[in-house]
Amino acid sequence: MSIAIEPGAGAPAATAPQAGAIKVTMILSGAVFTLMMVFGLIMRAAQGQWIELDPALFYQILTAHGAGMVGTAALSGAAILWYFSGRHVVLTAGIFWAFLCLFLLGVVLILGAIFIGGFGGAWTFLFPLPALSGGAWEAGAAAAFMLGYVAIGVGFLLYYLELGRQIHARYGSLVRALGWNLILGREDDNPPPPTIVAAAAVTIFNSIGIILGAAVLIASLVHLLVPGFEVNALLAKNLIYFFGHVFINASIYMAVTAVYEILPEYTGRPWKSNRVFALAWNAVLIFVMAVYWHHLLQDVVMPPWMLVVGQLVSYFSGIPLIAVTAFSTFLYVRGSKMTWDLTSSLLVLSVAGWSVGSIPASIDGMISVNKVMHNTMWVPGHFHTYLLLGEVAMAFGFMAWLVRGKTISEMGTLDRAAFGTYLAGAAGFVTVFLFSGAASIPRRWAVHYEEWLTHDRIGTVFSVLVVLATLVFVVRFVTRLGRNED
Amino acid sequence: MKMMGLTVLAIAEAVALRGGTIESPIQHVLVQMPLLALAGMVGVHELRIRQYWAIPFLLLALTTFLFWMLPRNVDWALTPAGELAKYISLPLLLGLPLRLCWPRLGPILRGFLKANALSMLGVLGFLYTHAPIRICNSYLVSAQQDLGFAFLYLAAALACLWALPVLFGYPRWLPDAAAGCIKCGA
Ligand code: HEM
Ligand SMILES: [Cu+2]
Repeated sequence: MSIAIEPGAGAPAATAPQAGAIKVTMILSGAVFTLMMVFGLIMRAAQGQWIELDPALFYQILTAHGAGMVGTAALSGAAILWYFSGRHVVLTAGIFWAFLCLFLLGVVLILGAIFIGGFGGAWTFLFPLPALSGGAWEAGAAAAFMLGYVAIGVGFLLYYLELGRQIHARYGSLVRALGWNLILGREDDNPPPPTIVAAAAVTIFNSIGIILGAAVLIASLVHLLVPGFEVNALLAKNLIYFFGHVFINASIYMAVTAVYEILPEYTGRPWKSNRVFALAWNAVLIFVMAVYWHHLLQDVVMPPWMLVVGQLVSYFSGIPLIAVTAFSTFLYVRGSKMTWDLTSSLLVLSVAGWSVGSIPASIDGMISVNKVMHNTMWVPGHFHTYLLLGEVAMAFGFMAWLVRGKTISEMGTLDRAAFGTYLAGAAGFVTVFLFSGAASIPRRWAVHYEEWLTHDRIGTVFSVLVVLATLVFVVRFVTRLGRNED
Repeated sequence: MKMMGLTVLAIAEAVALRGGTIESPIQHVLVQMPLLALAGMVGVHELRIRQYWAIPFLLLALTTFLFWMLPRNVDWALTPAGELAKYISLPLLLGLPLRLCWPRLGPILRGFLKANALSMLGVLGFLYTHAPIRICNSYLVSAQQDLGFAFLYLAAALACLWALPVLFGYPRWLPDAAAGCIKCGA
């Protein structure tokens, strides 16, 4: 594999990134993404009444789709970040395998809880829903679901401990890795490359998220198994949304390193950290944690100032980083003769999708809008935009790059068709969600009214396109892996 | 010698606190018990063990810890038999093995234990501040809630203590701290 760019200033201490483990992880991610998309398709078709689906099963599938997609987004993001961090620091392979095993253990527990135990309380496990199933599932199923989360959380904790430790060893402190020397205008003979800045920021905020998430998970478990123990519901909701918001955002912030590391091969210009870049990441580090209040805008018992902070920070949270990333991408791409193969197309698309998706997100972060939009399809509309067209596109772009080989050539017919189908399908799919939201169609309803069916059916058609294109991406990846291996 | 003195001092203070432990669970659980464990730690501060003892010692320390975490055992510690068990087990079965195994544990494991300690303090805070029942029979509900908040403050303090060196690097005026207790609970 020819790597045209130089990994960071100073002598690269890194060994070869752990390609084997990463490829295995990406095969798993691709397979689970596909399966979960089929689940999404089934839900959409059921809402459109094209197929018959027992509502209990709908909620189980909704839970599996939510947890599975968020988990896989995080898994693929983690693989990407690990791979590229390996260009700058030496990471212990054993930790990644332990992470992967714990992750899979979690998946088994979660799937068992849902499809054997019947758990359908959604991926957010909002207290006290897991304990109030109304007979739909036993406490054991909810407990298995939460234990699955705990296993995944422990896996991620090990992952970040190793990442943080090695960054700390190489850069002396995490604030240096966050680019504080760049920000403060101090001399730095070995400034952190963009990937390391991202890794340091994600390590910090996701570790905090996991530690708090573990606390609320265990407290919920205790409540579930020993009902005498009550938990403060508002505090639990705060912690759950802190954890959930931080965790899903981290998946994008990890995956974006693929853009930083791969696009330079196409533009011929290395992506370097500078002051604005470092500032943007430091802002993200704070904002991503301060913004979760936008999930609680309907909770009238929350202190008003928190909600106002939630609203204000919502405007700013994505903007610095997205602006810096999107703007730099635009400049790099415009000034160079790019070859548009599947990798570069998907990566550039992902930056665009991420940016576009943040617009409806910020709109929903306004208290006045949220009063109307809170539980409508607007919400799945905006997050499917930056996940489907953002994070997942980054992951597929990374997969295409892993099997690209040394030569970069224009897309063939199949690639072009798959890319176009994916773009059209995903864009159409999320637009329908946004329209439905604007029409006040609620989210998370298994059974829809007559008047809504047109929306659902158009959405279903678009999701078929997404699934087809995804199949091409994944099958193409797996077959080329086999070819490259020897 | 200095260390022995400190050990005796810690135990003496713990004994002196006997009265306080009956009134307040904070003095019991967050002052006296840690002092007893600390006595065991400083007592063996200079000793080193072989690698293969690390995991058994860790398990021993964790088991003791778990035992004293259960509210009913905290109640029991106020009876004469329980009190004796507390005075013996916390220094000898928690502080001592923990101190001996700690330098032998890998950095990831240590970081994991620290992160876990933070989460668990959070859980305890969660439960103790809001439980509608008395978890320990020997203490008032209001004292129980105070204890819950004390757990949360402790978690916050420990989080800062452990995270600051990772964030900002080791303070230069603490030269040997880095070798003995590498912090990695980011
Ligand atoms: C073909 C692609 C996809 C389809 C057809 C699809 C479909 C759906 C549908 C129908 C819902 C429920 C909407 C409702 O509330 O009524 C949903 C929810 C959700 N989807 Fe997707 N989705 C797709 C891709 C993704 C991706 C790529 C991700 C993340 C990486 C994702 C994450 C989620 C999440 C987190 C929820 C919320 C679950 C909940 O409300 O508890 N989806 N999706
Ligand atoms: Cu959020």
